[in-house]
This record gives sequence, structure tokens and C-alpha cells, in this order.
Amino acid sequence: MNFDEVAAFTIHDVKNRLTVLAGRAEERGDSETLQGVLEAASTLTRLLVYYKAGAGRLAVNIDAHAPTDVITELCQEITRQTRLGIRAELGEAPTLWFYDESLVRMLLLDALYNALRHARQNVVLAARQVDDWLEFSVRDDGPGYPAELLGRQLAMQPLSREGTGLGLHLAGRIAAFHTNGGQEGHVELANEGGAVFRLRLPR
Amino acid sequence: MALYTSYSDKRILILDDIPEVRASLRNQVGSLGCENVSVSGTVKDALEQLRSKTFDVILCDFYLAGGTDGQQFLEFLRNRNIIGRGVLFVMITAEKSYEHVVTAAECLPDDYLLKPFTADALQLRLERLLEKKVRLAKVDQLQNKRNWPGVIAACDEIISARDRYLFDVMRIKGNALIQADRHDAAVAFYEEMLAIRPMPWARLGLARALHLQGDRDRCKTTLNQLIGESPRLMAAYDLLGHLHMEMGEADAAMAVLDSACVISPNSLARHRAIAAVAEEKGDFSRVEEALDKVIKKTRNSPLRETADFARLGNALTEMGAPARAVAMLEEVRTAFKEDAYNPQLAAVEALAQHKAGNPEKAAAALARALQSDSASLPEAVAMTLAKACLATGKADEGNAILKKLVQTNPDSKALHARITTVMGEHGEADMADKLVRDSIAEVIQLNNEAVRRAQAGELPQAAAMLAEAAQRLPGNLQIAANAAAALYYDILQNKMDGAKLRLAQGFQQIVEAKRPDHPKLTEIAELLNRIRRKYGQVK
Repeated sequence: MNFDEVAAFTIHDVKNRLTVLAGRAEERGDSETLQGVLEAASTLTRLLVYYKAGAGRLAVNIDAHAPTDVITELCQEITRQTRLGIRAELGEAPTLWFYDESLVRMLLLDALYNALRHARQNVVLAARQVDDWLEFSVRDDGPGYPAELLGRQLAMQPLSREGTGLGLHLAGRIAAFHTNGGQEGHVELANEGGAVFRLRLPR
Repeated sequence: MALYTSYSDKRILILDDIPEVRASLRNQVGSLGCENVSVSGTVKDALEQLRSKTFDVILCDFYLAGGTDGQQFLEFLRNRNIIGRGVLFVMITAEKSYEHVVTAAECLPDDYLLKPFTADALQLRLERLLEKKVRLAKVDQLQNKRNWPGVIAACDEIISARDRYLFDVMRIKGNALIQADRHDAAVAFYEEMLAIRPMPWARLGLARALHLQGDRDRCKTTLNQLIGESPRLMAAYDLLGHLHMEMGEADAAMAVLDSACVISPNSLARHRAIAAVAEEKGDFSRVEEALDKVIKKTRNSPLRETADFARLGNALTEMGAPARAVAMLEEVRTAFKEDAYNPQLAAVEALAQHKAGNPEKAAAALARALQSDSASLPEAVAMTLAKACLATGKADEGNAILKKLVQTNPDSKALHARITTVMGEHGEADMADKLVRDSIAEVIQLNNEAVRRAQAGELPQAAAMLAEAAQRLPGNLQIAANAAAALYYDILQNKMDGAKLRLAQGFQQIVEAKRPDHPKLTEIAELLNRIRRKYGQVK
């Protein structure tokens, strides 16, 4: 058995236990535990994606999806896990766009958990079309990103020595898998009355 | 855009091998208001439930105990038509990468859910999927009936709305064009899709359409490009292997399937495909090796396929081990009672018993095999049956089966070559040519005779001759088309006859379903219009 298989079995096993825990927490209405469990599960998913992307074996499946779906789902899922106000802005969302839905979902969920840690009161998730780009964004009303992180992120954003920044590193890589007509998807960070995480994907 | 569907009347089946997860899922589903929930821990139990009642939604974990996974289970359900297209199948996985190891687009689940998830997330996903089922209900129904021209029309209706289901429907339309034998239209359609985006399903569709069009070079290039872009799309390897076989490149075919097996070592379909290629190559020990793996995984599972045992039995016989073949086949026949009269299994046993020196048992097996009507059997099974007849000295029966095969598909050179091989094994290679020629001549002569009679004013006799032939050879579309036309002419010329009209419409539908672009269909449709004008509206 190679590492890949051992990792897959292990993750499957741990996720089964987390599924049972999440079910119990949800039934009790224990939103704090629910969030902890789901966030731990998303960390595991990230680990596997990181490993596969490094080994050049990440299967990217780009197809037509409705951007409102992933935003609505994330909103609904997170609302139960937090006291913060979670809102979706979908007025300018295109009907369909091309991307890998599960990778984009993972990436936005990461950004969302990050926003939950820093927001004071509100988090806004949005999808909108800007010219030939689809822009997903996660906006909070917290203190904002450190200045050195701002701007367009590299496709291979380096990891810090402490091993932090894995989420950002992966986000850059996943965005860059989305190419079309000579354009490449990317991530941009900005401070606009709080932190704004933007994922921009070409038409 | 939640519709707040009522779940109280939705029938849901949960399949997961871990009791705690099953219970947790059941709780979540219950919290949505579902009252009609069944749970299964094994594929066997799930199959029993699916056979005894209908479900609206199946939630199935990818990992299942007993050497089976959710994808194999779904392929089995779809290939056997155990669930219709209206049933939602949601695959629950711990990891998303499984979704790319798929055999064919038709065997994809409706959606994947990454665990763990909340009851809210499940509800939202189900809402979304059920909304889609409602939107595609008409398309699904027509697909279940295999009414491909109808599917295309229903798809075009949704496409013109350009809503969120646009690409779901595009995908279905492409497949429907292929199923309706509109190969040129399918090629153009997929090229148009690929100009939008290089979507793997569109590239695969293009390869399938090019293959049917007979453009092997472009098909091969397309498949190689697809495998480069989407190395986990198993259907690409399958078609490429098939293509190499058609071009007589068995070694290349085997290499393609072997590389697919490296990516998807647990896929039953791949080992079965390797067995089929090895059989064609005459590499019977490789057939045995591949099928041993399949049979080990499926023997005590409901996913067991009778054809695996038949093919293995044939391989053992060909390898000069008929005694082992006989032992295996007799064991299968007693262990699985429903297989006792399976014509393919019985035909293989007849050959094995014959080679093992048991003439009486060979005759008994052949008698079982001959109980079914050979016209309704797939070509390969009918061929095995003919072989068994020839081997056991029943030349007349064997030749009759071969004759029917030729007359159903008179233009297939590949079929003629296989018949020559089979008859050659019994020292009658020179007879093969004659059999093929005579069989074709008989069909032509029947057509000519019908035309002569029609011209002589004997329309009822001409129509009756063709109708009889069309019923005897349901796969021969030229005869079916001529029969429909002759019956309509007869009605127009003589008098209205409900039975004849129904018969003719049946033949017309067969041709429309299998070849909507058949040259005779326009004339046939016009005849039916003339009948309507003459006798008033007919049903």
C-alpha cells in the first residue's frame, strides 16, 4: 500500500468518526462543537489536496456550474455554526460558469473559516461577474490582512517557515488550474473596511 | 432558491457499511421530515430493497464492505436498469478524487457529497437535485423509453431557455444524437461544445461519434488527447482499446487497458475488457487471469455476471483444459439455479463437455441452450450457440442460427469473417462463403419477389411476405422499412385494416428509433399522411 492509499483510508476513517460527532453536535444544537468538527474535517481535506497537487495527481474537473449554488450552500452551512451575521450577495452572479466545484468550494470554505476567526459582526459571501471574470469574494469587518499579504497572490505562494499559509498557497494553485483563452485564475487580497478575499476565474 | 420540498412522501434508501454512520445519516434525513427511510449495510440487502419497492433518493457511501464500492454498485444498477433515470443517486465520499475514475457518463451519480456534512447542507443539496429532476423529468422519461428523437426535441426545448441546466441537457443531447445514429450531427455538436470549453465529456462524445462515423484516425487522436487531459476517465481507455482491436492491433489494445488498470485497479469493467481483448487475441491464460480477479471479487456478491463464467469456461476449453471448464460450469449451474438455462452458459458447457469426451452431457447442455429463441440473442451469444451446434454435429441448427445472423445484418463484413472462422474450425470454411451468399441472396430474392407481386397488383400478398420476414428478422431495418411501406400501400389501395395499420406503425417505429435518417422514412411518413387524408384521422 502506498502513502496515497494509506492516507485515503485514514482520512475516510477519521471523517467517518467526525461525521458521527457532527451529527450529535447538530442534533444538540451545539454550534461551537459543530464548527470545530467541520473545520477539522476541512483541514484534512486540504492536507490530501496539498499532497496530491504536489505529486501532480490532483484531478481537476472543470465543468459548468451555477455560482449561486456554492455560495448558498456555504452560507446555509456556516450560519448554523456561528453567531456572526452571514450574508450572500448574488445579484450580479452569472447563471453558469466553468470551474471545478469541489475545489472551489474547499478553497472558499477555508477563506470563510479564516473570516470567522477575524470578523467582528458580519461576513459577506458574494459571486458576481466583472467583465470576462467570475469573482467569488469573502468579506469580513475585522482588522484586515497584514500589509505584506495584500495584492494579487502568486500561483505558487510560498509557505512560511512555521507552516502557516497552507490555505493561501493552495488557493493560489487551485485558482491557477482554471485557465481559458490565455487567462489564468488567481487570488487577490485587499483591505476594504475589513479583509476581502477574492477568487477570480476567467470565462 | 429553496422550494421547501415536502420530504414526508419521499422514499429514501441509505447504504453505508458502518452502523454509526448509518444511524447518523438516518437521523439527518429524519430531521428533514422524511418518514419513509430504509437503511442497508450491504449491497445484497440494498438490492433486495430496490427490487421490492421504488425509491426517490439513494444515498450511498463510496466505500462498501465486501470488496465492492459505490461506483461498481451504481454501474450494476444502471446497466441492469434496476433504477430509472428519475431516481436520485447521491454518492457520499470522504475524498473527492474518486469521481474521476468513471466508466461512462451514463454511470455517473447525480451528485457527490463530501462528508461530514450537516443536515442543512444535505437538505439544500437534495432541493437542488430534486428541482433538476423536475426540470428534466420529460427528458428522463424519454431516455428511459430510449426514444432518442424525442429526447433530442425535449433537450432543444430546455436549451432554448438557456437556464442553469443548459450544459446538463447538452450532455444528454450529445448522447441522444449518437444513440439515434445521427453521427454527423453528433460530431458537429461536440465540436461546437469543445469550442466553448475543452470539457472531457464533450471530447469523449466527439471520439464516440467519430468512431461511429468510421473516422478512426481522428478518433484515435481525439482519445489520446483526452487521456492526456483527463487520465482518470476510464471510458477513454475503453474506447481506445476497442479501436485498436478493430484495427487488428491487439497488443496496442492490451497496453491501453493495462495502463487503465494501473489508474483504476479495482475496476471490474477494466478486467472484463482485458479478458475480452485477450480472448480475441487467443491469449486464453490472460483471459483466465483477468476473470479470476473479477470472479473472486463478485462470486458471492449480487454483482456477479453470468457472462464472466461463460467466458472463463470458453477460455479453459480453448486452453485444452475442458475438464476444469466442465467442473466450473457444472458448479455454477448448481450453485446459481437461475443460470441453468442461460443460453450462453449452456452453449459454452456443451462445447466443454464435447471436448471433455462427454457426448451425452454435451447434448443435454445444447438442448438447454436451444430453448431460447436465437433471434433475440446478442450476436456474440448466438455465435457461441452456433459453434456449439456445429461442434456437436447439429450442423442444421448451427447453420440456421448463422443464416439468421447474416440476414439480420447482411452488410457486416466483420460478421462474415467471424462466420468463416467458426465454420473453418469444423472444416467447412468453403461452406461459409456459400452460406453467407445464399442467406443474402434469399433476402434479396424475397425483396424482389415482393416488388414483383406489388407491381402485379398483388399488394396484400407482397405486404404479408415482407411483414413475415420483418417479424422473423427484427434487426434488419431495410425489411422493416419495406414492410411498413408495403402495408401502407395495401391499405391505401384496398381498404382500411386496423391490424395491418398497427403492424406497419410498429415497423415504422423500429426504423425511426434505430435510424431516424433512414432514406425510406420520408416516403413512409407521406404514405401515413395519405391514409389519414383518405380514411380520416387514425390513431
